[in-house]
Amino acid sequence: MTRYAMAIDLRRCVGCQTCTAACKQKNATPPGVQWRRVLDIESGEFPDVRRSFMPVACMHCDEPPCEEVCPTTATYKRADGLVAINYELCIGCANCVMACPYEARSIAHEANFAYGDQPMPNERAMFDPERINVATKCTFCIERIDQAEALGMTPGLDHQVTPACVNSCLSGAMVFGDLNDPESTISQLLKETKSYRQSEELLTGPGVYYIWDKA
Amino acid sequence: MDNSVKQNATEHKSVPTYCYNCVAGPDPMRVEVVNGVATQVMPNFDAAAAHPGRGRPCVKAYGLVQKTYNPNRVLQPMKRTNPKKGMKEDPGFEPIGWDEALTLLSDKLNGIRDRGLIDQAGMPRVAATFGHGGTPAYYMGTFPAFLASWGPIDFSFGSGQGVKCVHSEHLYGEFWHRAFTVAADTPNTRFVLSIGSNVDATGGPCAIARHADARVRGYKRVQVEPHQSVTGATSSEWVPIRPKTDPAFMFALIHCLLHEQDRTRLDIAFLRELTSSPYLVGPDGLYLRDKVSDKPLVWDQSSNQAVAFDTAGIVPALEGHYRIAQAITVSADDQRQELQDVDGCTAFSKLLEHVAKYTPEWAASVCDIPAETIRRIAGEYLDNACVGETIDIEGTELPFRPVAVTLGKSVNNGWGAYECCWARTVMAVLVGALEVPGGTLGTTVRLNRPHEDRHLSIKPGDDGFMAQKLNPTDKENWVAEPTGRNAHRTLVPIVGSSAWSQALGPTQLAWMFQRERPEGFNLPEPTLPDVWFIFRTNPAISFWDTRNLNDLIANFPYTVSFAYTVDETNWMADLLLPEATDLEATQLIPVGGTKFVEQFWKHKGAILRQKVVEPQGEAKDFTWISTQLAQRTGLLEKYNNAINRGAGGVAPLKGEGYDFSLEAEAVDPPEKIWDAICKAASAQLSDSKEVHDLAWFKENGLYLAPVSQQSWYLYPTMKKQGLRFEMPYQERLLRIGKELGNRLHEKQITWWDAQLSEYSALPEWHDIPGRWETALVNEGANPEDYPFWLLATKSMQYHTGANVSIQLMREVSQNVRGHAGVIMNNRSAERLGIEQGDRVAIRSHIGVTFGRAELVSGVRPDTLVIVGQFDHWATPYAKDLEMPSLNTIAPMSLELTDATGSGADIVRVTINKVKGGVR
Amino acid sequence: MKRNRTSSAAYSPRIQRNWDWRAAGNFIGGGAGSGLIISATLMSPSGFDALPFVFLGLILVAAGLFCVWLEIGRPWRALNVLKHFSTSWMSREAWVAPLLFFLGILTLLFEPLLVWLVALLAAAFLYSQSRILRADKGIPAWRHPRAGHLVVLTGLTEGCGLLVLLLPLFDQLQWVVWGVFLLLLAGRAVAWRVYREGLAQAKVPQASQKRLAGIDREFLLVGHVLPALLLAMALIVPEAAMLAGLLGMLAGAWMKYNLITRAAFTQGFTLQHAPVRGQPAPQSRPALN
Repeated sequence: MTRYAMAIDLRRCVGCQTCTAACKQKNATPPGVQWRRVLDIESGEFPDVRRSFMPVACMHCDEPPCEEVCPTTATYKRADGLVAINYELCIGCANCVMACPYEARSIAHEANFAYGDQPMPNERAMFDPERINVATKCTFCIERIDQAEALGMTPGLDHQVTPACVNSCLSGAMVFGDLNDPESTISQLLKETKSYRQSEELLTGPGVYYIWDKA
Repeated sequence: MDNSVKQNATEHKSVPTYCYNCVAGPDPMRVEVVNGVATQVMPNFDAAAAHPGRGRPCVKAYGLVQKTYNPNRVLQPMKRTNPKKGMKEDPGFEPIGWDEALTLLSDKLNGIRDRGLIDQAGMPRVAATFGHGGTPAYYMGTFPAFLASWGPIDFSFGSGQGVKCVHSEHLYGEFWHRAFTVAADTPNTRFVLSIGSNVDATGGPCAIARHADARVRGYKRVQVEPHQSVTGATSSEWVPIRPKTDPAFMFALIHCLLHEQDRTRLDIAFLRELTSSPYLVGPDGLYLRDKVSDKPLVWDQSSNQAVAFDTAGIVPALEGHYRIAQAITVSADDQRQELQDVDGCTAFSKLLEHVAKYTPEWAASVCDIPAETIRRIAGEYLDNACVGETIDIEGTELPFRPVAVTLGKSVNNGWGAYECCWARTVMAVLVGALEVPGGTLGTTVRLNRPHEDRHLSIKPGDDGFMAQKLNPTDKENWVAEPTGRNAHRTLVPIVGSSAWSQALGPTQLAWMFQRERPEGFNLPEPTLPDVWFIFRTNPAISFWDTRNLNDLIANFPYTVSFAYTVDETNWMADLLLPEATDLEATQLIPVGGTKFVEQFWKHKGAILRQKVVEPQGEAKDFTWISTQLAQRTGLLEKYNNAINRGAGGVAPLKGEGYDFSLEAEAVDPPEKIWDAICKAASAQLSDSKEVHDLAWFKENGLYLAPVSQQSWYLYPTMKKQGLRFEMPYQERLLRIGKELGNRLHEKQITWWDAQLSEYSALPEWHDIPGRWETALVNEGANPEDYPFWLLATKSMQYHTGANVSIQLMREVSQNVRGHAGVIMNNRSAERLGIEQGDRVAIRSHIGVTFGRAELVSGVRPDTLVIVGQFDHWATPYAKDLEMPSLNTIAPMSLELTDATGSGADIVRVTINKVKGGVR
Repeated sequence: MKRNRTSSAAYSPRIQRNWDWRAAGNFIGGGAGSGLIISATLMSPSGFDALPFVFLGLILVAAGLFCVWLEIGRPWRALNVLKHFSTSWMSREAWVAPLLFFLGILTLLFEPLLVWLVALLAAAFLYSQSRILRADKGIPAWRHPRAGHLVVLTGLTEGCGLLVLLLPLFDQLQWVVWGVFLLLLAGRAVAWRVYREGLAQAKVPQASQKRLAGIDREFLLVGHVLPALLLAMALIVPEAAMLAGLLGMLAGAWMKYNLITRAAFTQGFTLQHAPVRGQPAPQSRPALN
């Protein structure tokens, strides 16, 4: 059984937001809606200060609280580990937004474009009215992953079927793949490093691992 | 497919092209096109194996889709209808056709040709200003060929160069090791001392990837800077130094290496054989030279006598004072002095004596860095230097010295920058880490030629050093009458006179002298150019004292802007010409080799920017515009010949085994011109084995041929030519400084005297921050009224992107601190009653800029930091961002201009909370 | 020195902005309405006397649901809400509601004794609402188990308060209701205090705790102490009980409005381990000058 997951090497990340931009563009999210972003985190007091960067998005949890609370079954957990949303079922109640501990979900209540009311040609080309008034979030670029089998490709290895953020990452901080395949890059990397997941105490089983040191 | 819209698309393709919006490029990328509309930018993984950034463009590239379709674009030629110019004057731009626009312009240009290309003051009648780091050239098609065909053009009016770049590094870097910019050999290094270099923000995909790999590998980077930048964040350690005291810190490091460590830990062989360390210096600070050959003397330990440095079989002494029976010295203006029984001290011993006083304890009080920290860093530098070790680079054994020192903007421009550049290079040579694997490397050359291979720029010169092409300072050849409005050939010998030199001259002067001139100014009265071309530049925002600069720009009689949107500079323009922008036009440029900032490739070749989508509106390919201008000004033959010579940017169209020359009188469409350039480039790169046309490049994006990693390091070339790095003693600079002083004084010019003090053989510490305080006093202000240092810093989202009007950049940049206002220490803010998000006024003695306070712990309590260059008032979208800008309140000041003509991006300010709107 | 707040909005807890007064309205109407039905049923075991209150209770529940219908993004797909009974408490709430209305109408029209079933469904509705909040793991102030207790208890209190307010209109026996109301007030005050202590123990975002602390004094005084005093006064001036009921109910509604819209902060993000940047920096650096 496949379990797609992501590992993010915090040692590499420089907080450049290239993944944020790549995601916004590939997924045509409207202004203000970011399915993923990189947090710029500071701790300590001058002069002993640490500043770090942490990309966050949907964690594609094993036990997604969003899926549990969704009253419509629009949010569902796939066998391959992805948490997906069926926009045609979603009623935009925002219960999932409240249930997600990772601030991963957004609802855009009206069409909103980069420069006001009128879409630019690229926005018009990518505009999907189905996404208005429903919950949206990172999909791990589900359309790409769904092409993998037909194309004979492996998500995480072949760029065509790999999430846009992973492809875009300048520092190579993001790795995607099948956690259940011991030979996959992500499995190997996690073996060689120390990592944690966000808020594991909530028992959500996040599918995103944050690497912070070598093993 | 990404969504249902795309699933129904009739046309769906991915087009290879490049992003070169900042000097860290070019980076390959692909653009997805759906039904003729560009929808997203993606990496070009076809180039992943060769591109050090693995085929990825940085975040700025993702803004290019919006850049194409931005509704605020200028999409047809416009002429000004309001003859009055000024911030408050609506230009009244009126749309016109291309034919009318080109007729208007060519009439102006033909008028100039009739009157003569040079005006009564000896200045070119045509001036041009382009944006950062030469990158506009990679978007202007064959316009360089038009400029080449025109004749003299003044590039004096800077848009920020000299004050926003690493200016002293450009000049001294090329002087010492052909390093227009300097980088660590990141893939091989173990320890990087990064003094203000924000490489993880401005180094582009190549630097980001290389440093990320190095971090995981376990290198240590110590970041020394007043605020914790992105690079400070990703470093092992942050050392918050007091602004502009970097030379003191570095002098103390050198002190530690020389006076507190065992001498044998240094690279004695490197110092002896590859530097001027053994050269004997006389009491007057000049090299003691052989009477017959003029060659500098060294003390041969085997024969116990002074001999010319290049005498075979000698063992030069590195340290010590020796009695020299006979020698000469050659001073400024070839003044020779014969000396007998004179004390000769090795340059190395001079250095030892020079830095003896710069103890860590002394530096601690200057820099606000504990002495033990300075000692530890010096120790770590030495511990990691691996003196004596070697590494195999593609079959050749080279020294392995995995320690590097890099410098950032504001460390590297203005007063103190010479000292820093010198100290950095001294630190490298002390452990033999200059231009060797793991060490401190140059990237490319711009003041020397050829640009594509810095090794070829190395030729034997005087005194065992490489030859330098400096502006002459001798009586006969000194350029007493400036040929450009910033007087670079007259005032700055080290900047040279190549194509890039003028833009790297004292560009502040061109602006300053328009308004006020120093007492005793007797150079020709500055004139304004009859026609000023501007492209991808906005000096009214990106230089200093921008409100006054606006007024100066308003005086220019005829400004032609190749315009993307209306902006603060072209608000004063007379003609706006919309060029087909990034994704809309064709151009082939060189790629690979070694280039700033950390583009160290093992390939080189050519990469195509192609018409991914049709140009919006009436925007025209720059090559089309250039050809039209050439035709209408009667320069077609010269223009085509310039392209044939290689002004297209990659290769001459005729070379050994190939000839794709354009006909001299032909008016060729852009596609035909670039087809010829593609063929010539591929033929040249493959020694005529392969010829690829434009169609091939459109399909494949780029063509590469392998080059050796050995090309990253100058060491083998220096060894091969038997040359020495001109380090640590600067006898030549001392001499030309004196010479320049003689010339200037002969001409009764004394207003450059302070700058002449920089020409020293071994730089002394002087109170560099104090210069800013003195300048305030001289302006009638009280330094205590301006207790904070305001610095500017760069961000990846905006750095040289000309993209302030791109919504996507604004949105994603809000995730990175500093993009909402001014960065301030939280405790300092508390003392002043300023809270997070408060509106604040930041005042210098010349003006005020407004923004919001962003409180952090990671900045010195005496320092404020503003990201990027904002405070727009005309550029659509950007004018609503309510961002402050250092440029609004930083003065242009001769007093704060160093000998290279640059100034540091720093100003003394006060800050207080204000009510109401940001504006 | 106290640390001045810094530029940390991106990773600090943020207030949720998706549920506004309309969502709060569902918790207010649903709580008070179901509480009223339950209280009235208990006060009138035969059901007949409870009918007007059942009617009003149903109206309140419906009004609450109408509020939420106004809030959802795709109101014309509202029936999809029924699709996930197996795990979603919102879905369960949605299943209970039509049954509640159906049986309520049957009770009103045909058989007062069915009021017990209606009360049971009202209790299920109220419980569902409490579980909706508890399941929202993204809001630490809601996911705390004691939030559920508080929501149930305040719903009952609000319903009983409403009953106390309205009973005089029907001239029915009142002192037992007053007593129950008094007990519920005491229970809610305790639940409130215990809930807030629980939040502190669980280290939920300070912003949430601050917002709730901000209403503590008024909530306790106006919503509990004052109604209790008024109930005592009602022994002499019976009309005072009406004011007590009104205050008890309004205070509960106000508290829930705050809980849903003003105290609902996300948990933010924490960096559990700072990434190792190459070789580590020295563990302790001497303080700079």
